[in-house]
Amino acid sequence: MSVTLKSLRKAYGAAEVIKGVDLEITPGEFCVFVGPSGCGKSTLLRMIAGLEEITGGDLVIGGKRMNEVDAAHRGIAMVFQSYALYPHMTVRENMGFALKFAGDNPGTIAKKVDAAAATLGLTKLMDRKPKDLSGGQRQRVAIGRAIVRNPKVFLFDEPLSNLDAELRVHMRIEIARLHQELKTTIIYVTHDQVEAMTLADKIVVLRDGRVEQVGAPLTLYDDPDNIFVAGFIGSPKMNFLKARVQNGQLALVDLPGQTLPLTQSLPEGSEVTVGLRPDIFKRGGTAHLDLTIEIVEQLGAETYAYARAGADIDGQPLTIAVTEGRDLRPGQALKVTFDPARALLFGKDGQRLR
Amino acid sequence: MNRLISLLAQAGLWLAAFISVFPFLWMITGATNTANDITGGRFLPGTNLLPNIAKFFELVDAGQVFFNSFFVAITGTALTLIVSSLAGYGFEIFASKTRDRVFAGLLLLLSVPFAAMMIPLFVMFSSAGLINSYIAMIAPGIASIFMIFYFRQNTKSFPHELRDAAKLDGLKEWQIFWFIYIPVMRSTYAAAMIILFMTNWNAYLWPLIVLQTNDMKTITLTVASLATAYTPDYGLIMIANVLATLPTILVFFLLQRRFVEGMLGGVK
Ligand SMILES: Nc1ncnc2c1ncn2[C@@H]1O[C@H](COP(=O)(O)OP(=O)(O)O)[C@@H](O)[C@H]1O
Ligand SMILES: [Mg+2]
Repeated sequence: MSVTLKSLRKAYGAAEVIKGVDLEITPGEFCVFVGPSGCGKSTLLRMIAGLEEITGGDLVIGGKRMNEVDAAHRGIAMVFQSYALYPHMTVRENMGFALKFAGDNPGTIAKKVDAAAATLGLTKLMDRKPKDLSGGQRQRVAIGRAIVRNPKVFLFDEPLSNLDAELRVHMRIEIARLHQELKTTIIYVTHDQVEAMTLADKIVVLRDGRVEQVGAPLTLYDDPDNIFVAGFIGSPKMNFLKARVQNGQLALVDLPGQTLPLTQSLPEGSEVTVGLRPDIFKRGGTAHLDLTIEIVEQLGAETYAYARAGADIDGQPLTIAVTEGRDLRPGQALKVTFDPARALLFGKDGQRLR
Repeated sequence: MNRLISLLAQAGLWLAAFISVFPFLWMITGATNTANDITGGRFLPGTNLLPNIAKFFELVDAGQVFFNSFFVAITGTALTLIVSSLAGYGFEIFASKTRDRVFAGLLLLLSVPFAAMMIPLFVMFSSAGLINSYIAMIAPGIASIFMIFYFRQNTKSFPHELRDAAKLDGLKEWQIFWFIYIPVMRSTYAAAMIILFMTNWNAYLWPLIVLQTNDMKTITLTVASLATAYTPDYGLIMIANVLATLPTILVFFLLQRRFVEGMLGGVK
């Protein structure tokens, strides 16, 4: 089912937290809200859920305006960060509670609960209380409780952030699989851009209550609209270098003497920020930088080198990710080359120069 | 050195334990002795238990007195739990600009001593024609400021996301309170229940003022009236005390584990 937000706003007293969000989520889409902590992701999700009043704008789910509709009647289900399982009920009771409350007969409830439990591998845990479950199991029960209600839209608020790294990867895959199976619209909140990149059909990058950019994961990665999105998406982070257009070249402000070729026409003297993804550096290409390696991280398949530009230890820090870097050593001088067409230029206002 | 400190601490604890337990032991041995033995300083168990008991049941309409005590304590406790926990829940859950000011005002009222409210309360109840009634005994305590405070504090550890989840599951506010909040907070309720039961059971000053006939009196008042006789029979008083104490001890041991959990402020 589709979800449409039309200049949605939320204010707590005088403090505006959501400052006019427009968004179109198509049926069956996996949409991820991502952004730094405090940017309003949870608030926006809770407005869609019906847990926060909407101050202004329209919320439309499946063609119907839902601003004033009760949370239980919006056709949504939500998985909370803390799981929010009822501690005094067993897994079975937790999963069936909403149905029981809606007045379904016990036979139907049992059938639906058992089906969801089977999908999620919970069958053996049905008579346990939440406190006797591991984090991953609780997470699955919370998802099961949502599935049982057969919602038109699933909402997830940072569902994996209380799990350890290994389990997080595992559950991430399980959620992706679940989406393929159920084909339900999902809105998923996270501050983790890796989760966003791996799960989303569409990423919505939020900052300070506003949408910075909406797009497919690789669109945001390759073609960010501004410095914020460029810096937020991608790990390790994009490198940013200050530069000035001089004699038809980019003179790097913090690296006297080093220049990069200019690939688009900009007026002489304009100040720009050059964005270089750590993974564009190769041995080969027409642009180059002279660096001194400070720290090397060997990940096996890949090597991250944290380097300073020039021979100066106070120079501009840069991160380099290369696949053939087992020979890199701290203190070593390194000349990296790259294709200048892959450098992104941003204006003084942080917007992309295209 | 450490050993010495530990020994001293142990000794201190034993002393404190002795001071707390001694009157209790004395009450029990006293119940088996005659008044003369007790005033003579006898601490050992005696042989006068059955005569003491017989005299107690002869002098006191035990059935009526215990009924009064239980009725007042149970009804008072139940009503106070409901009203005060609802208020505590409301204060903590619903944000508003004025709630903290209202709450501070309530806490300020805690410093008004009961002695200052006694006479106005009496006048109120007497003009409502409620003197010498159960209502007069129970009503003044129901909106207990201390209990509202206690429940508000404990509600801080009630996970807000549970309330959100319940809303999505289709529960109305009162249903959230009834089906989620109360079961989740049962340790908090158990601790409050013990405190309230004891307070109600042991209530003395207000019932003394508001009750006028013997058939309305609670066991606490009855024991006190035995003690004010012209020649108090201490053996009788002690057995009356034992009987008056038993129910609170029973309630405490039944709910002991939850009481400790509740005082430690746990949501389990
Ligand atoms: N009940 C509230 N009253 C006032 N401000 C709030 C309330 N809830 C959240 N906020 C503010 O709204 C902003 C967004 O919060 P939130 O949506 O939780 O951020 P995120 O989930 O992106 O970390 C924060 O600055 C937070 O302080
Ligand atoms: Mg959040």
